[in-house]
Amino acid sequence: MKKSSIFGLVVIAIAIAVIISVYSNSSTYGSFKDAQNTSNELHIVGHLNKQKQLFYDATRDANYFSFYMKDNKGEECKVVFTGSKPQDFERSEQIVLTGQMRGNEFHASKILMKCPSKYTQDKVEITEAKAKQASI
Amino acid sequence: MDTAFKGEHLLPGHLGQFFTILAFGSALFAAISYYFATTNPLDTSWKRLGRLGAYINTIAVIGIGVCLYYIILNHLFEYYYAWEHSSRALPTHYIISSFWDGQEGSFWLWTFWQAVLGNILIWKAKSWENPVMAVVSLSQAILATMLIGVDIFGQRIGTSPFILLREAIDLKANAPAFAANPALYHNYLTYIKDGNGMNPLLQNYWMVIHPPTLFLGFASMIVPFAYAIAGLWQKRYKEWIKPAIPYSLFAMMILGTGIIMGAFWAYDSLSFGGFWAWDPVENASIIPWLILVGAVHVMIVYKNTSHSYITATILVLMSFVLVLYASFLTRSGVLGDTSVHAFTDAGMFWHLVADVVIFLVLAVVMLAIRWKELPRTTKDEETYSREFWMFVGSVFLGLSCFHLVVVSSIPVWNLMFGTKLAPPSDPVKHYNIVQASFAVVVTLLTGFTQFLKYKKTDGAKFFISTLVYLLVAGLITLPIVYFTGANKLKFVFILIMVGAIYSILANGKVLIDAFKGKLKLAGSAVAHIGFGLIMVGALISAGTSKVISENTTGEQFSDDFAKSKNNPRENIILYKNKPVVMGKYTVTYIGDSVAPPNHYFKVNYRVIDANGKVTEEFLLKPNAQANAKMGLIASPDTKHYLFSDLYTHVNMSNAIEIGEGGEAAGHDEADEDKKYEAPLTYEVAVGDTIRFREGYATLTSIGRVDHLQDIALTGKDVAIGARIHIVANSKTYDAEPIYMIRNSNAFDFARKVEDAGLKLRFTKVLPQKGKVEITLYQQPESAKKWIVMRAIQFPDINFLWAGTIIMVIGILLSIFRRNKELKTT
Repeated sequence: MKKSSIFGLVVIAIAIAVIISVYSNSSTYGSFKDAQNTSNELHIVGHLNKQKQLFYDATRDANYFSFYMKDNKGEECKVVFTGSKPQDFERSEQIVLTGQMRGNEFHASKILMKCPSKYTQDKVEITEAKAKQASI
Repeated sequence: MDTAFKGEHLLPGHLGQFFTILAFGSALFAAISYYFATTNPLDTSWKRLGRLGAYINTIAVIGIGVCLYYIILNHLFEYYYAWEHSSRALPTHYIISSFWDGQEGSFWLWTFWQAVLGNILIWKAKSWENPVMAVVSLSQAILATMLIGVDIFGQRIGTSPFILLREAIDLKANAPAFAANPALYHNYLTYIKDGNGMNPLLQNYWMVIHPPTLFLGFASMIVPFAYAIAGLWQKRYKEWIKPAIPYSLFAMMILGTGIIMGAFWAYDSLSFGGFWAWDPVENASIIPWLILVGAVHVMIVYKNTSHSYITATILVLMSFVLVLYASFLTRSGVLGDTSVHAFTDAGMFWHLVADVVIFLVLAVVMLAIRWKELPRTTKDEETYSREFWMFVGSVFLGLSCFHLVVVSSIPVWNLMFGTKLAPPSDPVKHYNIVQASFAVVVTLLTGFTQFLKYKKTDGAKFFISTLVYLLVAGLITLPIVYFTGANKLKFVFILIMVGAIYSILANGKVLIDAFKGKLKLAGSAVAHIGFGLIMVGALISAGTSKVISENTTGEQFSDDFAKSKNNPRENIILYKNKPVVMGKYTVTYIGDSVAPPNHYFKVNYRVIDANGKVTEEFLLKPNAQANAKMGLIASPDTKHYLFSDLYTHVNMSNAIEIGEGGEAAGHDEADEDKKYEAPLTYEVAVGDTIRFREGYATLTSIGRVDHLQDIALTGKDVAIGARIHIVANSKTYDAEPIYMIRNSNAFDFARKVEDAGLKLRFTKVLPQKGKVEITLYQQPESAKKWIVMRAIQFPDINFLWAGTIIMVIGILLSIFRRNKELKTT
């Protein structure tokens, strides 16, 4: 057997190992219900329930932030995040949480939020325009 | 139609739009002309036409840039791009960078650099000009389609930067007043006073230079690709590699610099808390780079030994296809759920897919057609030869890249196969471990390959020198790992350390030899040393970075919560003027300095030795912008030492609203008093001391006051002041509350000491006792100014930056060397 063939086989073996390791390391997207039935960390996509209270009081604990999120199936759950409240959280349109259930709370280790921050949002501000109308 | 709206400047837009069409047409024309110039080499008129096309394309591309600059600089907000990405308040250098804030601008950068490179090729490529420029022009034409923005069969092709605001956004839906009143709509521009401005996070000098560098890197990847295609096309299999090597090195240098600039930007002024987070967008930029590095090494192997031709070709072809794939990943919106900073979909998904597919098909077809004719060597490489191990190293770089592609593309797999995979839940750990394994192999290879010669090496001699150096590397690693605390890391990271130090030593030897005469070898040695240092710096700083702001004191939210330590409690609250000990530092938030729109928090760091003496003191000023649109935008401040960095970042504060809200002082007494705890009254004589939570106050004297700033005193009034000396948090203040009698009515004027959170009133005079009554209001902790901050220590990160500079110098030396070789042969 040629040396290059042996090396080729080694490379293929490593490539397969990489794929397997990625597959076994990869998490899944799920709902709060799925989270209740597993002890693994998973990703949950949903949105913030803006009616309920966002709790962050730095003077009591700078590393405790809790809120209520509805997952894509409509189920709501209290979420606790160890850390400070991400900037502009109230405006988030979509949230992706990584974490697991602890009792009735979902403990998130990571929050990724998609904000329609005004820098990407196609909304013309016409507040100024209205104020101006009077002077015409 | 156009005259229907008042105040619009349509000329620059029309001109710009004309230039985008011209850029596309001329690039296509150049591509076709160069194609025929290649197939009819005897007819030079095709070549002249091709050049003409390329020149016109260059002018058109510059024209697009000038028009867009004109629009942005003159704040013509009738154009969507200017409105969306700039504003009047932006300083000039950020206006320049707002140019590439959006997708269109970054495409323009790319096409601009590609045009520049095209002109260099026309000038330098000689016999390669026709086929190489045919490929470059094709790429240029496809890039131009991204900017055209015209509707064909109801499908918009590309997005033009010259779209008008009223075309991009339904103004009538946004503002009902416009829909109701046509006259108002006709004047709509008078209501668009300002643009959206640039995201404050991007208002940074890195934004000015990072994107142009990165896109020069991406753009220059086309050149080796074009040479490879040209070589296959013209059957000049063996010749293309030599002229392509300097261009590949150039692309490798520029793209590498661009990537590290991004890392430095993230580290220095974004609040990511590190220099690399394995975000899919970051990965997308490093994927083509890794393959290119592999390609360069195999090309050099081929040049020296005629081995590995096919691998070299495939890697070069792949590197450019991966550039396009990376641009698809970041621009199509496919990464939406997995990345913090990918672009959102601008309706170009399939357009970007097509871009990748066109070049992929071109590469595969050219390879397939010529497959049988490609030069092969029947002889196997020697095991003890440099070429064999360089080849192995390049394949490992390819594997590392393969891993990055597989993981970063998880959303793509989901889309293709309908699966619901999510990225690893701890992606950083996953990437670190897998990539570290490849890095171990690669660093070791960059080391011991230096002891091998091309073709054949004496085995025994090689083993002795390799092992001696490996042993020394191991011995050096031990104390380094021990003293930096890296010994607590996973074993594979310690192996990288050995590998990186080994590589530095082995290449150091080559460098010493180079100074003794073999000067042309210096380039690769220096570049490898730089790479080794990057690895050392990255490893120590990322591996042993320490959050020093760990919250060990203070109120716990609940015991349950405190117990479930899913991540370290990295944020700490600092009340103004109240020192907190973090690690070896005593940290105090001492105040603010405001220079709109920036709000700097002054955080004082002191190192106090056992005798209570301050041995070191410095001030960090992490910055926050209270942005009306985005809330608090924080950027960190870092104390740089030679061997470690101290990074401080403010997450949140109540100072910024209070400070800028403007206090209606004194007017609303009842409301005002709510800010304080219940008052306490003290009967004191001169010399007496009142204790409170943070210190004490001493009544130094009582005396008549002749002037009162608030009220004009008349001769009948009696006003006396109590001079009080206050010491709070080891700072001193003086206050003089006033007691006044007018028309036999008693008044008093309170005095506040904001810093200490105190309010003092002189409420009664008690002549019988020889005392006065002082009422003391104290702010509760929570009403005082505070910041929530995070401080991280990054040891030895300077190795990373220094390594980068050294690597760039090394590659630069190599470029000079390879260029010289081109001229001498």
